[in-house]
Amino acid sequence: MTDVKACCAAAYDSDVVELVLGTSYHPGGLALTRRLAQLAELRPGQRLLDVACGQGTSALLLAREHGLIVDGVDLGEESLQRARAAAEQAGLTDRARFSTGDAERLPFDDSTFDAVLSECAFCTLPDKPPAAAAFGRVLRPGGRVAISDVTVAAGALPQNLRDLAGWIACLADARPLEEYARLFTDAGLPVTTTERHDEALARVIEQIDARLRALRMTGALDGLDVPRALELTRQAGGAVAAGHAGYALLVASKP
Amino acid sequence: MTAPRPAKTDRDEVFVEYTKSICPVCKAVVDAQVNIRENKVFLRKRCREHGEFEALVYGDAQRYLDAARFNKPGTIPLQFQTEVRDGCPTDCGLCPEHKQHACLGIIEVNTNCNLDCPICFADSGHQPDGYSISLEQCERMLDVYVAAEGEPEVVMFSGGEPTIHPRILEFIDAARARPIRTVVLNTNGIRLASDRWFVSALAERGVTVYLQFDGFKPSTHELIRGRDLRERKARALDNCAAAGVTVLLAAAVERGLNDDELGTIVRFGVEHPAVRGVVFQPVTHAGRHLQFDPLSRLTNSDVIDALAAQLPDWLRVDDFFPVPCCFPTCRSITYLLTDGQDVVPIPRLVQLEDYLDYVTNRVLPDDGVRAALEKLWSASAFPGTATTAAQLECATCGVDLPESLGDVADRAFMLVIQDFQDPYTLNVKTLMKCCVEEITPDGRIIPFCAYNSVGYREQVREQMSGVPVADVVPNSVQLQPLLGPSPYGSKIAGNGHAQPRRDQTNVGRKLRR
Repeated sequence: MTDVKACCAAAYDSDVVELVLGTSYHPGGLALTRRLAQLAELRPGQRLLDVACGQGTSALLLAREHGLIVDGVDLGEESLQRARAAAEQAGLTDRARFSTGDAERLPFDDSTFDAVLSECAFCTLPDKPPAAAAFGRVLRPGGRVAISDVTVAAGALPQNLRDLAGWIACLADARPLEEYARLFTDAGLPVTTTERHDEALARVIEQIDARLRALRMTGALDGLDVPRALELTRQAGGAVAAGHAGYALLVASKP
Repeated sequence: MTAPRPAKTDRDEVFVEYTKSICPVCKAVVDAQVNIRENKVFLRKRCREHGEFEALVYGDAQRYLDAARFNKPGTIPLQFQTEVRDGCPTDCGLCPEHKQHACLGIIEVNTNCNLDCPICFADSGHQPDGYSISLEQCERMLDVYVAAEGEPEVVMFSGGEPTIHPRILEFIDAARARPIRTVVLNTNGIRLASDRWFVSALAERGVTVYLQFDGFKPSTHELIRGRDLRERKARALDNCAAAGVTVLLAAAVERGLNDDELGTIVRFGVEHPAVRGVVFQPVTHAGRHLQFDPLSRLTNSDVIDALAAQLPDWLRVDDFFPVPCCFPTCRSITYLLTDGQDVVPIPRLVQLEDYLDYVTNRVLPDDGVRAALEKLWSASAFPGTATTAAQLECATCGVDLPESLGDVADRAFMLVIQDFQDPYTLNVKTLMKCCVEEITPDGRIIPFCAYNSVGYREQVREQMSGVPVADVVPNSVQLQPLLGPSPYGSKIAGNGHAQPRRDQTNVGRKLRR
């Protein structure tokens, strides 16, 4: 089952999917990262772990704006290198470190962090309960889990969304918001706040549409079935509009 | 039994700003307030002499308020030309209280024109008593601009009609001889339609043409320009394409007159090899213009709504972003990537608010992308120029698009919506951050909207021509009983100079003497 996860991480590292999605992509951008930090009541000087940190955009933002000491883990080596370079450039190497790490086997001692952040990544994890448990393990008592993620409606997915899931990895194993909440609660991390931001996903889908069309102008997408990709993107937009897929923030805390 | 007491009622508007403006009749500085009613933004003021005035300033209150996030801290110019004495807007300029440097400097080379358009904020035409500047004056104006800016981004030659000034090419050379990056020529295109030698001369000098282009309907031409110029505009554009001159179309838009042609103009521009952008300007009700109702005038949000409605496959309202260098409600811009087949607005590729929202972003990303976006979303951006092309490339590379997109980005098509203020809509708060400036022959740098509204244009014309010039009064529905004709086709208060010109409100008097 680790296939999907590795595949998704690899997809972010290279190839046409990166072209289409962009490298520092997560729904809601900096605005939603700030909102999540606010809901999780992050304070200056606290230690934060960003799971699936990508190129470190959010980690560096939180180090800079919220005065946090951040660790970022990701499976993509190239992303990590870029994150380190960005930290260097921002003069934040003393407050932002990046290392290879798997969500289920976080390379940190128990009770290390005040908060664990993971944006648009939990949905891609094939084995969610151990990951939730791992988040809880590295948190100190009173610490917070702050998640933003793709959600799907409860019940059976419409056929077109199942087709989509074959193309967009994060939809394949996304869950209803209540189910994410249950996963964390079951891991001993009762949920304190949830907040819907479906418009952020709609915006990303629109960005994918725009990138596909812009890239088509350059001929950079030779080999990709662009009309098919555009059609799937259109369907994804429709799924969000119909409430079948969305995006949400969730904060849980360790007693 | 007692009679029921009268119930208090609420006002029908939300009071959002207290500011200053001018009386559109006598130009006295008066207090003003900005209010929101039915999701529209109005500016209201009262002159002791001439009564109350109200004008629509923004058609969408939500977007007006939201634009405040995009307000960039101003940059201080190297030199100011005047001192603070009486306060804004009578100390122009620029005085040390001005909040922004000049992104775009305008030099009006003459008052004469080979057209007598019914709509002309400069009140130009075939007039025997105007003025035109000398080469020495032009050089002085350029020197003032360079002294203030160091390396000015853009100078625009305008008029009147600058192409009929016999020394216009020398003026352009004088600008080129100075550290000014871009030279723009604002023209009606009549000379460009017939004089290919002149067009080549512009090409050799790397001049960008800013061509008045209001639409395609005969009625549009008739009502805005007084004659059908379609043929000439087409020839001017083809001559520019042949010579390799980059053109930006500038459309004056009036409600109910040509606001149904916006989409057609954009489509035409995207397809024409010479055209790299369109600037839509709601008609400025300064100078000469048709009778209008200030309460239903066209505003930026109306133009954006109309564009989105007329080009639903290409554009949405949120593809336009307010420009941070001036007051963000003055100007909105978007860029379109296009290969002739498809059109993609750049803001759909870049999360622009992550870079240009100066309020939410306590620390802004500083990776070159923001600087590039700031230049693109400014009054100094002119597509086809080397600097703007470089910024477009940087902006797209900053969002992880492959280098091959740079070539497409280089040719991005620019759309600008700019509502200039007039004597009705003038808001001193907004004016204080204006970055489009008139450079005057006596060495002042005056915000464009102050120049057109407050009386500076009349003052400069009078100084330069030696002929008295009365203050121009807007040709509004409400003012009709007061208005008489000026010699130039605009309207003036019946008796010429309306009194008084003195500041009337909150001018330093104490409550108790």
